[in-house]
Amino acid sequence: MHLRIDDIAKAWSGHTVLDGVSFDAGENEFVCLLGPSGCGKTTLLRIVAGLTAADAGRVILGGRDISALPARERRMGLVFQAYSLFPDMTAAANVGYPMRLRRDAPAKIAARCSELLERVGLGGLGARFPDELSGGQQQRVALARALATEPAMLLLDEPLSALDPAIRGQLRSEIRLLQRALGIPTIMVTHDQEEALAMADTIVCMNRGRIEQTGSPRDLYERPRSRFVAEFIGRANLLPTAFVRDAIPGFLERRPPGDEATYELCLRPEDVVIENDPRGEAVIEDTVFLGNLARITLAWRGRKLLVEQPGRSALNRGELVSVDALRGAWVCA
Amino acid sequence: MGVRVKRMRTTGMLLLAVPLLFLLVFFLHPLATVLVRSVTDAQGMPTFANYVRLFDDPGLPRAAMRSLVIGVATTLCTVSLGLCLAMALHRSRLPGKALIRTALLLPMLAPSLVLALGLVCLLGRNGLVHRLTGLPTDIYGFWGLLIANTLYGLPQVVIIVSAALARTPARHYDAAESMGATPWRQFLDVTIPRLRFALLAAAFLVFTETLTDFGSAVVVGGSYRVLAVEIYGEVVGQLDFAMGATLGVVLLAPALLSVWLARMARRRQDTGDASPGRTLVPARHPWRDVALGGISLLALLPLVGVVATVAYVSVVKLWPYDRTLTLANYMGGMPDGYGPVATSITMSLLAAGAGVLLVFALSAGLRRAPPFIAKPVQFIASLPAAVPGLVLGLGYVLAFNHGPLSGWLYGSVAIVAACSLFHYHAQAFLTMQTGMRQVPEALDDAVAVSGGSTFHVLRDAVWPFAAPAAISTFFYLFMRSMVTLSGVIFLVTPELGLASVTVMRLDENGFLAQAAAYAMCVVLASALALGAMRLLLHVLKDRRHVA
Repeated sequence: MHLRIDDIAKAWSGHTVLDGVSFDAGENEFVCLLGPSGCGKTTLLRIVAGLTAADAGRVILGGRDISALPARERRMGLVFQAYSLFPDMTAAANVGYPMRLRRDAPAKIAARCSELLERVGLGGLGARFPDELSGGQQQRVALARALATEPAMLLLDEPLSALDPAIRGQLRSEIRLLQRALGIPTIMVTHDQEEALAMADTIVCMNRGRIEQTGSPRDLYERPRSRFVAEFIGRANLLPTAFVRDAIPGFLERRPPGDEATYELCLRPEDVVIENDPRGEAVIEDTVFLGNLARITLAWRGRKLLVEQPGRSALNRGELVSVDALRGAWVCA
Repeated sequence: MGVRVKRMRTTGMLLLAVPLLFLLVFFLHPLATVLVRSVTDAQGMPTFANYVRLFDDPGLPRAAMRSLVIGVATTLCTVSLGLCLAMALHRSRLPGKALIRTALLLPMLAPSLVLALGLVCLLGRNGLVHRLTGLPTDIYGFWGLLIANTLYGLPQVVIIVSAALARTPARHYDAAESMGATPWRQFLDVTIPRLRFALLAAAFLVFTETLTDFGSAVVVGGSYRVLAVEIYGEVVGQLDFAMGATLGVVLLAPALLSVWLARMARRRQDTGDASPGRTLVPARHPWRDVALGGISLLALLPLVGVVATVAYVSVVKLWPYDRTLTLANYMGGMPDGYGPVATSITMSLLAAGAGVLLVFALSAGLRRAPPFIAKPVQFIASLPAAVPGLVLGLGYVLAFNHGPLSGWLYGSVAIVAACSLFHYHAQAFLTMQTGMRQVPEALDDAVAVSGGSTFHVLRDAVWPFAAPAAISTFFYLFMRSMVTLSGVIFLVTPELGLASVTVMRLDENGFLAQAAAYAMCVVLASALALGAMRLLLHVLKDRRHVA
């Protein structure tokens, strides 16, 4: 089902949280709402779920305006960050809860519960209580519960951020596989850019109640449109126009027209090429060994530059290098 | 806004409205009646004559002075002994901490005057000590009152200070130790600073209670008449309600002030660390343990001795002359038999049951209420903590003995239960609210997106977390109602006796053995209730899976 968010606005006691936000989520699409805390992404998700009322704008699901519909009638499956399982119900009872509220037949509920638990890899653990399950397992139960009533959409509110890094990575790919298999349109809220890059078909990058940029992960990484996106997703070297004119004038060709200060060039660290060169203009200030990666800080024409090289770098502090850039993107400063 | 969101709001408002209505009718209304009565004359015209009369009677300023002196003295004794007991429990390696805890339960199981009663039986002019040794003992007056009040206040101080001690993280002591601080320095620099507000709060609590409690004062005060006794005399003895109301307002002022100060203190209280970390194991330090043990004995021996004396007296044939052991005092000898005990239990069950429902609804209604509603409601619900039982009871007499509701309420168990419930409303409300604060917000939302109503939120999200608080609240209200005296003293009628009041009447008439037997019945009922509560909470803890 296709979801359209149309010009949603929301203020809490005079403070604007969402300021005219619009985007679309297509059939089977996995959309990530990405942004720093306080950017309004969770409020937006709650508005889609029907838990919070918007001040203005519409939520349109499958061509139907559901803005006035209460949460229970929206058919959304919602997974929260943590602590959303009923503590005195077993895993199976938790999963069956929405079906019981709908007064489904007990036999049907039982069958669906075990099917769903099986599906999220918890077959046989249905009799456990939440406090007898690990954090990752609890989130799987929450996921199964969200899917119980065959929702029109799946809404995930930072479902992985309370988990250990190892579990997080595993559950990340499992959620994605499940979502693809079920073909269910999904919106996930996260502040973790790596998670968004890894999972999303489309990222909606938000800042201060507005959408900064919408696009595929690759789009946002390679062609950020604003300084905020460039810095929030991945690492970026942001160079002013005057500096580019002196140091790497080749990039000026593609600069959009505008004042000197309106645009900056974003160079991703791995797109900077450096070579040992006794006559080079840059000097290596620091190298950090990260296993599969070396992170190098340069001083180049009075600016610091961050460079990443795959594998083990042979470069040492104080050595001189020449600098070139493979690709870059002009962003609004 | 969705229809459903609106409907949820409506249900929330309804949850608030009912308990608020009760607070209005059974708390604010009688309170206001006392205030109004103190500034009106017999014709209902405004006047300050009552306050002027306070100074005409030479007995009253003296009684006020005595109340102040006994209040300060009791506070000093109770807080210092309570601090030592709490230290013994939490910062020593003393054996037998369970015994200390058990002994400290005793004052909470009995009406305040039972300690005084025991003291009189032990050290009165005709007390056990005099009988056995021939020493001329006379405990009536200042010292008797001081001891009775101190013993009564001890457990509460220990509870407050213990909570603060438990919140102090062990790593603060580790840090002090690593920097070379001696145990004494650690006590001064780590322990005491984090106890300041707890001590202050405990001091205010004891001061207020001493000032407003009159059970002990009547039994052991003798000719040392304090303000609370004067009010009792004005109202019950001379039926001078205007004067009683005026004295009540005078009593209300320091109580309000001390509760306000305690609130300010709590606001500044360091709530400690979210992660307490390593549990603190007191270092070996024999002299500390000997000192704390000695002080604990000093404080607890009289406590146990006094209660044991009451138990002993209750099985004696004709106190103090014929000390043959007998169960006759329990078997009868009272015109009403166990009627008052049964009434007390009925009344307490009613207060506890209604209290849990009202407080649950109030806390549940407040969960999602906007601040401009939540704040004033919170204030009103906590206000009873600042109103002495004596003043509230007086308000009940003035408000309900006449007027539209009196036909139903006068002399009924319901009115006594209401008085007791609203006297202890603040603590019950606080307990319930603390329980409900543990409900994760995500759980509410999970019910909502699953298609549940407010009823489902309460049943499936709130109740599992609030159940232990509800159990505690129920038994707290039950036990307090069993022993309360100052509030309900004006509400009993010849047909409606209460156990705690009967104890006092029997004592006044010199039937000490029967009074003791009656007191033991109350202690037994309270102890049973306490045991039942612990058992229930334990079972629930085993079964429940609330983190």
